[in-house]
Amino acid sequence: MTADQWVSFSRRGTAELVHLKGEIDLANANDIGRAIVARTTVADAVLIDLTAVSFLDSAGVRLLDFIVGDLDDRGKPIRLVVGERGAARMTLQLCAFRADLLATDLDRAAAELGG
Amino acid sequence: MPDVTSELRLPWDDDPEDLYEHAPCGYLTTLPDGTVVRVNETFLTWSGYTRADLIGHRRFRDLLTPGDQIYHETHYAPLLAMQGEVHEIALEVVRADGRRLPTLVNSVLEKGPAGAPRIIRTMVFDATERRSYERELLAARRAAEASEQRVQVLQQIVADLAAAPTEAEVAEAVLRAPEPAFQAASSSIYLVDAERDQLVAVASTDPTTGNWDDMPRSSTRAVAEVARRGDLHVIRTVADAEGHFPDLAESMRRSERRSVVLLPLTTGPSEEQGGVTVLGVLAFSFRDERVLTDSELRVIRLLGQQAGQALDRARLYDDARRREERASFLARTTRALDEEHRLLQRARRLVERVVPEIADWALVRLQVGPAGLVEHHGGPAPDPDRLETRTAEVIETAAPIFAADADGLGCTVLPLTVRGRVLGTLAVRMAPDRRGAEAERLFLTDLADRAALALENARLYEQERAIARTLQRSLLAADVPGTDPRFAVETYYQAAALDMEVGGDWYDAFLITANKLAVVVGDVVGRGIEAATTMGQLRSAIRALASAEAGPARLLEGLDRFCDRVDSARMATVVYAEIDLLSSEMAYACAGHLPPLLHEPAGSPQYLLRARSAPLGSRAGDVRRAEHRMRLAAGSRLLLYTDGLIERRGRGIDRGFEILAREYARLRDAPLKGLTAGLADILVGRDHGDDVCLLCLTLGTEERLERSIGADPLQIALLRADMRGWLAGHGVDTDCLNAVLLACSEAVANSIEHGYSDDPFGVVDVAATISPDTVEIRVSDRGHWRGTGDDEARGRGLQLIYESMDDVSFDRDAEGTTVVMRRHRGPESRVGEP
Repeated sequence: MTADQWVSFSRRGTAELVHLKGEIDLANANDIGRAIVARTTVADAVLIDLTAVSFLDSAGVRLLDFIVGDLDDRGKPIRLVVGERGAARMTLQLCAFRADLLATDLDRAAAELGG
Repeated sequence: MPDVTSELRLPWDDDPEDLYEHAPCGYLTTLPDGTVVRVNETFLTWSGYTRADLIGHRRFRDLLTPGDQIYHETHYAPLLAMQGEVHEIALEVVRADGRRLPTLVNSVLEKGPAGAPRIIRTMVFDATERRSYERELLAARRAAEASEQRVQVLQQIVADLAAAPTEAEVAEAVLRAPEPAFQAASSSIYLVDAERDQLVAVASTDPTTGNWDDMPRSSTRAVAEVARRGDLHVIRTVADAEGHFPDLAESMRRSERRSVVLLPLTTGPSEEQGGVTVLGVLAFSFRDERVLTDSELRVIRLLGQQAGQALDRARLYDDARRREERASFLARTTRALDEEHRLLQRARRLVERVVPEIADWALVRLQVGPAGLVEHHGGPAPDPDRLETRTAEVIETAAPIFAADADGLGCTVLPLTVRGRVLGTLAVRMAPDRRGAEAERLFLTDLADRAALALENARLYEQERAIARTLQRSLLAADVPGTDPRFAVETYYQAAALDMEVGGDWYDAFLITANKLAVVVGDVVGRGIEAATTMGQLRSAIRALASAEAGPARLLEGLDRFCDRVDSARMATVVYAEIDLLSSEMAYACAGHLPPLLHEPAGSPQYLLRARSAPLGSRAGDVRRAEHRMRLAAGSRLLLYTDGLIERRGRGIDRGFEILAREYARLRDAPLKGLTAGLADILVGRDHGDDVCLLCLTLGTEERLERSIGADPLQIALLRADMRGWLAGHGVDTDCLNAVLLACSEAVANSIEHGYSDDPFGVVDVAATISPDTVEIRVSDRGHWRGTGDDEARGRGLQLIYESMDDVSFDRDAEGTTVVMRRHRGPESRVGEP
């Protein structure tokens, strides 16, 4: 299965910008994870845009947790952009993701990363 | 004046004595022992003896040659004694001067009264003339024998020529003639290649002789000269050659030949020089100086004509066979190309036909798409740079460039031209002997024309196919209403496999008014762009004709009138239903289409067989349009479909209906999302020859949502879609809805990952109920939980369930696990707020 329907990439300054959309769950999280990691392991900064994600389950949370951990280990900044409301924000909040990781505005998050 | 008194003697009244003496033959009278007793003057003159030499002194036999003396004793004398006479005995008389006189002798033996021999009278004829005649006869017979041998050889050659079907075999047969027929030492044959204006040395019995280079017909060499003149040249000596043909003299000296014959092989009327066509030259040579007799020369000329005719015939035959081969190849190639519809496959097939049958390498290049298309076959490939240059030239000039000797490429490049446009090029490398000939060029041009047309048709087909696909997709993808909680529509379209053109199947669902939904599935006759266009027109016509008041029957009548203007819509089949979303009343009508399949929450699926009439615009069928009304229970599922779903080769349509009803019932609890695709998968699979189009409508919101899904993570999203619709249908607010979906998904994921970790066929049952203030979800599996909840990932899943729901209870026993989760619908929200 290809992850192209859920994930796409672009650049914002020095940051690798990851766009996610649709429903992310047990069925596709691994494929999406592989696609993202292939682009982020050497990135100096990563922005993950979750505003178009309509569902996020614990498998998606595990995926994001892994990527955040990897970036933290390498001392590189990462931001997860979520909407004011919505499924992704709800799930991440339920899992008590660090507030400093979450952003609601893509441009501001990019600026914070020095992009 | 003559003396009339004297005794008149007539000229023919000979004196008997004179007659005896000067008779035109010799007379001899001998005694029985042969002693000459009387002889006439004629014999004396012939033999040169005097009367005194012979009479009383010689016997007749003494006058004969020694051989004839023996013959006289052994044959003449005994025969005479026995028969009393002998006739025409050939004896040679030896004359006085010793020369011999051939004679024929008749003798008669006269007997006395007592029967005793008395005398022999002998008459002697001069047989000198006759002897020379006999010698001539003998010589003639020898000549005839030689001639006969020659004739036999030539007859054999002529027979061989007649049987030789090809030019090469004729040449071979002619080449074998001169040695047995004329005792030639060796021979060589040259053939005229009119196309290239050359004389080509094709064969020789002794290739060490002569010059083997091809020569232009205008060459000064002897062979070319003879070919031009068209008459026989006999070069008797080297000196003879020296004067006229220095090249021949040189080669005669080198190969130690003294005489040479250069024979043109001609066809046409031999009398008129102008009418003769020279097809080749046969050269044969002798080690000694050879003088050919007139009869030999006649035979040689005859050989030249026979061989010429045979060559002519063989060339015609060769041409005819080539033509037939080419025509057959073209016909077979055209047929083979027709069997493929797609451009790439057609191009591939073209090069595979060309190699190896007519070429050892072929490449087709088409200027289509951004990258173009290249297919090649055979090898080795020629020099790519030269090919590139030549291809560019051919495209530029739109004219073929045929392979030529020593052009460095050896390939013919042909433009593929249709309606004046160069579509691409076909490059072929053929065996050298197939190059150059005019007929071969025409053949290749013909091949390129046919290939161009076939490829252009495939390109157009490809283009039309793409347009039709796009058109169809765009029409089908149009907005099917999806957010109204009172109903849900699931559609599926599967194009025919096996490279079929697009069909005319379509589905549509639209709101006529805020509370009236229309669903349609139809099938236009035919395929391709016309069917897709007609489908689009019918779809628009239905949307235009549908109104709050009309109803299905009047809509079909409107479509019948539409067919009068759009004939391609005629005989299309349509099933059309209108559903009143307030009263849940449905009105439907079937114009020649397969009956809808309805599954109400209670009972088994039923085919709706009322309100049937003929296809649209039918002239033979019953087009009195009727409709049928019925009330649908909340939670009913209505399936509309095209015949591709149930018609399958080797399976009766009744059986198809049966299987569809059974599978539809079995999927009763499956999520709506994915239901139509699942049905298509089960009923027709992927490898089918027809388009399949399905539309499934779920009406109303079930009070209780019950779904059973397989232990497959992919199914969770399908379940979520149903549940999202069900929750929305019951007016559950977004935060609660998201929370319930999350908890439900996590619970199902738990069952799949833990309960069914070793059972891919496990089933997870989900039941959802709703009250004004609570949503309750129950998720059950019959698996065996391996781990506890303590692994990190599942731990997070469980955490999410607890966090998002107000009340969670697990009941795990030997039968399986059931989790029951509740959440209040109240306005207070625990999560999701900023």
